[in-house]
Amino acid sequence: MADNGKDKVTLTIDGHTVTVDKGTTVIEAAKNIGIEIPYFCWHPKLDSVGACRMCLVEIEKFPKPAVACATDVMQDMVVHTNSETIVKARRGVIEFLLLNHPLDCPTCDKGGECDLQDNVFKYGVDTSRQTFTRKRVIDEDTHTTFDDKRIGPEIIRNMNRCVTCFKCVRFNKEIAGEYDLGAYQRGADTVIDAPPGRQIANLYSGNVVEICPVGALTNTDWRYRVRVWLTKTADSISGYDADGQNIKLWYDHRQIFRATSRRNDAVDEGWICDIARYGYQYVNAEDRLTTPLIKKQGKQVESTWEEAIDLIARRFKEIKDKKGSVCIAGLAGGNQSTETIYLFNKFFRHVLHSNSVDYRLDYIDLKDGEDAAAYNSLSSAPFVIADLGKTDAVLVFASNFIKDHPIVNLWMRKAHRKNNARIFTANPVETKSADISEDELIYRPDTEAAFLAGLLHAVIDNKLYKDIDDGKAADVKGMLNPASLSEAADICGINADRIIGLARALAEAKNPYIIAGEYLNATPHRHVLANGLYNLANLLSVADGQAVIPASHANSAGAERVGLRPTIPTHLAELLAEKWGKPLPEPPGNNTSKILKGALREDIDSIFILGANPAVRYPDGPFVNAALDKLDFLVVADLFETATTAKADVVLPLAGWSEQDGSFINLEGRHQRFERALPPRRAGIKRGVEIIRKVAEALDVPLEEDDNALRRETEEVLAAWKCQPRDRNQYYPVRPPAAVEHGDYPYRLLTGNDLHHYGYLTEHCPSLMRFTSEAYLELSPRLVEKLDIAEGDLVRVESVTARLMLKAKISDFFEGEVVFIPNNFSAMPVNELISHESGGWVKIEKLDE
Amino acid sequence: MERVLFKYVDEPEQYRIDNYIKNGGYQALPRVLKELPPDELIDLVKKSGVRGRGGAGFPAGMKWGFVPKDIGRPKYLCCNADESEPGTCKDRVLMERDPHMVVEGIIIASYAIQAHTAFVYVRGEFVYPAHRMEEAIKEAYEKGYLGKNILGSGFDLDIIVHTGGGAYICGEETALLSSLEGDRGLSRIRPPFPAIKGLYASPTVVNNVETLANLPHIINRGVDWYRSHGTEKSPGTKIFSLSGNIARPGNYEVDLGTPLSYVINELGGGVPGGYKLKTIIPGGSSTPLLMPDQIDTPLDFESMAQAGSMLGSGAIIVIDERACMVWVAMKLINFYAHESCGKCTPCREGTAWLKQIISRIENGGGQTGDIELILDACKNIMGRTICPLGDAAVMPTESIIKHFRDEFAYHIEHGKCLVKTDYPFE
Repeated sequence: MADNGKDKVTLTIDGHTVTVDKGTTVIEAAKNIGIEIPYFCWHPKLDSVGACRMCLVEIEKFPKPAVACATDVMQDMVVHTNSETIVKARRGVIEFLLLNHPLDCPTCDKGGECDLQDNVFKYGVDTSRQTFTRKRVIDEDTHTTFDDKRIGPEIIRNMNRCVTCFKCVRFNKEIAGEYDLGAYQRGADTVIDAPPGRQIANLYSGNVVEICPVGALTNTDWRYRVRVWLTKTADSISGYDADGQNIKLWYDHRQIFRATSRRNDAVDEGWICDIARYGYQYVNAEDRLTTPLIKKQGKQVESTWEEAIDLIARRFKEIKDKKGSVCIAGLAGGNQSTETIYLFNKFFRHVLHSNSVDYRLDYIDLKDGEDAAAYNSLSSAPFVIADLGKTDAVLVFASNFIKDHPIVNLWMRKAHRKNNARIFTANPVETKSADISEDELIYRPDTEAAFLAGLLHAVIDNKLYKDIDDGKAADVKGMLNPASLSEAADICGINADRIIGLARALAEAKNPYIIAGEYLNATPHRHVLANGLYNLANLLSVADGQAVIPASHANSAGAERVGLRPTIPTHLAELLAEKWGKPLPEPPGNNTSKILKGALREDIDSIFILGANPAVRYPDGPFVNAALDKLDFLVVADLFETATTAKADVVLPLAGWSEQDGSFINLEGRHQRFERALPPRRAGIKRGVEIIRKVAEALDVPLEEDDNALRRETEEVLAAWKCQPRDRNQYYPVRPPAAVEHGDYPYRLLTGNDLHHYGYLTEHCPSLMRFTSEAYLELSPRLVEKLDIAEGDLVRVESVTARLMLKAKISDFFEGEVVFIPNNFSAMPVNELISHESGGWVKIEKLDE
Repeated sequence: MERVLFKYVDEPEQYRIDNYIKNGGYQALPRVLKELPPDELIDLVKKSGVRGRGGAGFPAGMKWGFVPKDIGRPKYLCCNADESEPGTCKDRVLMERDPHMVVEGIIIASYAIQAHTAFVYVRGEFVYPAHRMEEAIKEAYEKGYLGKNILGSGFDLDIIVHTGGGAYICGEETALLSSLEGDRGLSRIRPPFPAIKGLYASPTVVNNVETLANLPHIINRGVDWYRSHGTEKSPGTKIFSLSGNIARPGNYEVDLGTPLSYVINELGGGVPGGYKLKTIIPGGSSTPLLMPDQIDTPLDFESMAQAGSMLGSGAIIVIDERACMVWVAMKLINFYAHESCGKCTPCREGTAWLKQIISRIENGGGQTGDIELILDACKNIMGRTICPLGDAAVMPTESIIKHFRDEFAYHIEHGKCLVKTDYPFE
């Protein structure tokens, strides 16, 4: 009986010795030495239930065979996975499962990747002893035994194939915390279904198709389209949110057929959201731009690449010679690859000599230098996703977390499930975390800064701060406005006791996290809020990686780290200068707001927009549209025609992310490469780097590096990135801006992504459009009652700047005066309603029939 | 034979607390609270040797002893009143006629494991017994036997009555706890055992109604008295529910160790109508059969096991010569197939398949090889399931085939019953 030290266990499986960590199950220990114990209902990330009985093994000294998936290893355990008893038991399980399982293999999607097929071939017998008519669930609509029921926008259930492993229901409840899929009836009549009158439509619904061991759950995306063995895979990364979900694209020589997870235990643990799963579909869309367009006599006409590039080079040269290169600006979308953005940066700074470049196209409040110190520090914090799973308290501030960071959200839920982590959210709305949060502090719209001030007061008044002396704390208190907790509580409409409760919870925690999100980023005073969070993190001595304002898009962090902004850290500027062979241009650059303001003033004559759609995405519609219209020369490279391309003098067809090799940096700073699946279907579609190289060449300053050299150079620049740690002695004033006068406009409009959409490209993904196909006005039950509106009614939403007509949707997550319209639908430019005049305040009227 | 549990069962108003007290009730509880700290109480119950009366026969004191002491989680006591084993009808009588005895037992058991919340999980069909229990609990609160600081002892206890939704499987302790938590009543794998991780992942003890009803008597009259009843390994009395082809069906309380023949013939009056005894299901439908030559088997856990069967819940079903055993097998397997929770493959698919095969034999469509098929399927179910329901379906099936294989063979070959009878078996 050798002692292995308290954390390791040595056991014997089929005669082979293996040493594993304590707490490992027998099935995992066997996997370590290449012994595959068969199973249906086990999943490495779900709690074991021992339901299928396929993984039974004989363990010496155990009275009867035990389930390997739920038995922890013990020192000197002796396991037999292939004894006569076990072979018979496995055959028994297979026979039982095949009694009523339909012979659908020829037409079932799962063929070729089906656990039941695989196990039958390995462990079953050739003949069946079933002499009865097989038990069938009858399809309600067609009354046939081929039960083919659509239980969700994407999910189809064939109950007759189900082996009742419950993985779908367990995943839905345990991991996603959703209850739109359940098991009904009992025994052999058990049925998996969405609850009566509902559908399975949560953001993680696609995962149930992946984890189903048979073809009982399939999705419309893949159904009947191709056999898995006829496809190849490309390792990729989701190109939407900043979590960096690892996916696999499955394709043949013509098109991509689906995306599935590519389990990365440090990022996603094998779960991907529906946007990552179905978001590739825009690559296949029929209405992709395929040839360049040039505006001639006010109309955009098709032209050739030669003509387009020629025109761009000519106009850039003209502007540069006449007014200087400060008049040309570059804006790139946050979902472009790091290499593309790097080259874009080089093009502007090195070829055009302009420092006016930016990737932050969704935000009004952009500052540089000292004003942005707190924001910059928090947005570059060394956050590690997997560590969030170990937290014991989280404050999610100004973020609808499931929408902003769907996978980090799952880690937070895991922390709650495994560690009883205390979850708090502070938002203008209730969020989906309400089922696990200890408190949802819903502040009145636009009072975030007052809330933060109040929270800081709560920490200071109750002496919850750490590592600073009382005098310093009093100083910090003096920097806060409003000047007391009770004033702040009044302004934001939250009971002071609840704010104190939150402060205490964070102070008591051993491993607290403070995470902000898009509601913060969208405010016109996000730097004030960053100041507040910075102070909070310092007062509570929160570790550097645990107070963070995470990046927003798939590659916002990448754009930041290769310096696509007007002011960049000195060390980065020096490094780029060294790489490019000459110092960066002198005159300071402009950020997005200043670029747009400059456009209006005609100081900026030209903008080159690469893969972005600010005309509908920038949160001040009248302003951005007026600015873009004022430009002398607008070049837009994108995949589809958009409101922005409609204004352009030259439109260039851009390749999508799956059509090139590249990399994204996720919100942790993790550098992840993605592989090309298929090149663009039409020769006229070009990658961003190709476009940039063509223009540079036409300007006689060619960018020589090929793709490999570009990749190397980008990696070297990324490797030199330094995080800015928080200065623990530094505190910033928190002074909320004056409230906007909104007179006749009583309701505050918030915008952002619909649950199943992200940005403006998902509109071209048929599966995601199945979930939500058009914009809507989301409002609270109380408001609906007050305005006498029913679900689906047409309403007019009006601000001082514009009016839109939409259907109403009732939501429990909203309180009184706040309403929401998603900004993913081109037919409904929400940003028209939002401007610095309107401040986002609107009035709502039901439209009569 | 002395009646212990049934002493006052025929008194019409015994369920009222004043009568219960008048007849000697609520004396054990104050003694326990004042004189017996939990550890000693557990020891005492261990020494008494009282075993679970729900069917498994696990020593109650030992089960209590498994509950960990200081783990920062609340403890729970659950009274299993989901009496669903076919043939069993004893718990309902205790709850209807002498509910305070059960309540007092619950409080004593809760005190032993230091649980401050106890649940009574009553099967949904037991509307009246649940009502009687709720009334009794209300009376107990009023008199200070429940609630905060019971009788000034500092011990708090709340009892909550919860009714089930109509599932036999919810008598199995892990499914019961699932149901109590609000989930579907599906069994859970063990380990972890409920005493360590039960209700809400906290230490939970699940005891049968009759087991708990024994406690006040053990406290009042002592271990020696208790052990003077029954046998050495199976002390105390037990209520047997007698049904089937019997002159006087009903509940009978006897000392454990009493011969089965005494219960059937002396107390039950034997098989009426002059018919011959064919077979006996001794402990609820899940137990293997006993044949007439085994009728003298003593009714205690060891003797029954030695005879190849089980004491089980004590439901004795007497079957006479008129019964077609294939029909009996079909009735039984129908029950188990209907009640299977559906979580694990062998029970879910296996019981449904067995039902199909046996029904086909009974209805005249039996095929050669069916008996071997049944027995092989049984082998793939027995011991391979999460909970004993799979075993419970298999044991009577195998036992009936073992003793009455000729009836099955006859059915298969001739398409009709071997037994000639005009009794209207439905």
